[in-house]
Amino acid sequence: MAAASVYSSPGFDFSNQIRNNFLTDKGLPLPKATSTGTTIVGCLFDDGIILGADTRATEGPIVADKNCEKIHYITESIRCCGAGTAADTEFVTNLISSNMEMHALTHGRKPRVVTAMTMLKQYLFRYQGHVGAALVLGGVDSTGPNLFTIHPHGSTDKLPYVTMGSGSLAAMAVFESGWKANMSREDALQLVKDAIAAGIFNDLGSGSNIDACIITANHTEMLRNVEMPNERAKKEKSYGFRRGTTDWKSEVIRKLVLSEEVTPIGGGDAMDTS
Amino acid sequence: METSFALTGKGYVLVAADTTSARSIVKMKIDEDKIKDLGSHLLMAYSGEPGDTVQFAEYVERNIRLFQIRNNYALRPSAAASWIRRSLAQSLRSRKPYSVNLLLGGYDVAAEEPHLYWIDYLGTSTEVPFGAHGYGSYFALSLLDRYHDPDASLEEGIATLKRCIDEVAKRLVVSPGKYKVKVVDKDGSREIEI
Amino acid sequence: MSIMQYNGGSVIAMVGKDCVAIASDLRLGNQALGISANFQKIFPVSDRIYLGLPGLATDVTTLVNMYTIKEEREIEPETFAHLVSSTLYERRFGPYFIEPVMAGLSKTPSGSFKPFIAATDLIGCLNFAKDFVVAGTASEKLFGVAEGLWEPDMEPEDLFETISQTMLNAVDRDAYSGWGVVVHVM
Repeated sequence: MAAASVYSSPGFDFSNQIRNNFLTDKGLPLPKATSTGTTIVGCLFDDGIILGADTRATEGPIVADKNCEKIHYITESIRCCGAGTAADTEFVTNLISSNMEMHALTHGRKPRVVTAMTMLKQYLFRYQGHVGAALVLGGVDSTGPNLFTIHPHGSTDKLPYVTMGSGSLAAMAVFESGWKANMSREDALQLVKDAIAAGIFNDLGSGSNIDACIITANHTEMLRNVEMPNERAKKEKSYGFRRGTTDWKSEVIRKLVLSEEVTPIGGGDAMDTS
Repeated sequence: METSFALTGKGYVLVAADTTSARSIVKMKIDEDKIKDLGSHLLMAYSGEPGDTVQFAEYVERNIRLFQIRNNYALRPSAAASWIRRSLAQSLRSRKPYSVNLLLGGYDVAAEEPHLYWIDYLGTSTEVPFGAHGYGSYFALSLLDRYHDPDASLEEGIATLKRCIDEVAKRLVVSPGKYKVKVVDKDGSREIEI
Repeated sequence: MSIMQYNGGSVIAMVGKDCVAIASDLRLGNQALGISANFQKIFPVSDRIYLGLPGLATDVTTLVNMYTIKEEREIEPETFAHLVSSTLYERRFGPYFIEPVMAGLSKTPSGSFKPFIAATDLIGCLNFAKDFVVAGTASEKLFGVAEGLWEPDMEPEDLFETISQTMLNAVDRDAYSGWGVVVHVM
């Protein structure tokens, strides 16, 4: 086991691996991590990119988070939607965001979307699909608007409109029927909202609200919960319990001012204090 | 099959372990001592994979002795339990982990109270008023739920322990024949006949 | 049976009005056999942060020791949540089998305190909920009961009743959790 140290080398720590294999060999299967079933989309319009995502995170059949954020920050004018293993999408986009900032500082100019795409695909390819992140990367740079999908094994596509995640089929159906080249900002946003809504209502892995992000050459607008089609109705009555309902055995109020007491535990001579 | 019990009472911990040493279907020995004295006020009953058990028990014994020599005082039961637990957790991350289950009973001479720890080969450790390992635990724990008294005298404690041993002898198909019983209190640890 | 159910146990944290609460059961089992009715799964990290660790008991102890060693200083709950997340993600391909739940009060720029709760999965995916977070073998039941009972802006006394009843009733329908409950209200 790795010693408890403040300093540790970068990269993954495999010190539990032997133990975990031993436990799985004993017939205790490994548990599943939180995944984002997800509908994520991106589409080009006349002067930029719109990204969209739902906000449901699942653990098997359970909705783990009803309003999570799936549009991750890469740079000011590059954003990335994530689907797949939730922790992987979170950490992979964080890592690349950090590397992109470093890249921008070393070269002294705004980084390009292809740079982020290349960093992401090389990272994901290195882990041969074990880092389970399926991404939609979009942004605007000196070459204009760029939109990519990146698969967990590291393959990429460059397309004018893309969808990913378990709701990708529902969302793509909307794009295929409604997408046109050089759409206005309003039309494109409506199309993205419709595509995500199709995922939310037709795919069980997706749900709750719609997030969107509009990226243009000199402005990025993050529209968090731009539509909330699944808001819970206000409870008609309060289900609060009368105080004193719960019978408890003992109550301790923690003292935040600590006092210390020394207990001699025998052996050895008393310290010479003369 | 291997069975061990332990219970706390007023100022003491009673630890019992069967004395059979078996390989496959054969009893090789019927007077094996599976309770190690780790210093003057600490007892450890061990069971599990043959070979691992004695090796690990001796490793623990010598390290705890080394601590006492170096520091001129013995580890308290809680500290010893932590160290032993960590050793097992570390071992579990090695190629050939120790497969040893323990009951650690001790008398804390500083705080003047008895402590008992239930520890398994995964490095799970918890302080308990009474505990058991092996098939006997399925019989003993329910009896101890009913009859255990943390303020019982040594005689009452021994009577409760006897109930457990008798029940296991009566109901368990593969019950062990003999037990070794040790007690630890303010005067240190000693073996007792039951 | 999964490794996460080997020892059993559940934790829940809830937000109230200027207060938070975190509760856990006290059972430690060896599969179906109950071993201890006093196995603490919630640990104070600082004066204003409590950490609940349901999952495999050996990893609970290992991680608690690790955080205690590393973090004997004041840390903001948000920062601590990210520390927990990173330590777990570092072991992405050989995880600790725990699902941490955190509850705390974070300092606002004006000097007052704001309730904070968070949970992560076993590889460190953070979930910052605004109402409640759950984990452990009774998590499905806890989700259901909490979804029905939780309401916004509860006073500490009411929050105590709601979290206690949520826990007690959920745990009664889970074979691997129970044997007593402990509640911490901040």
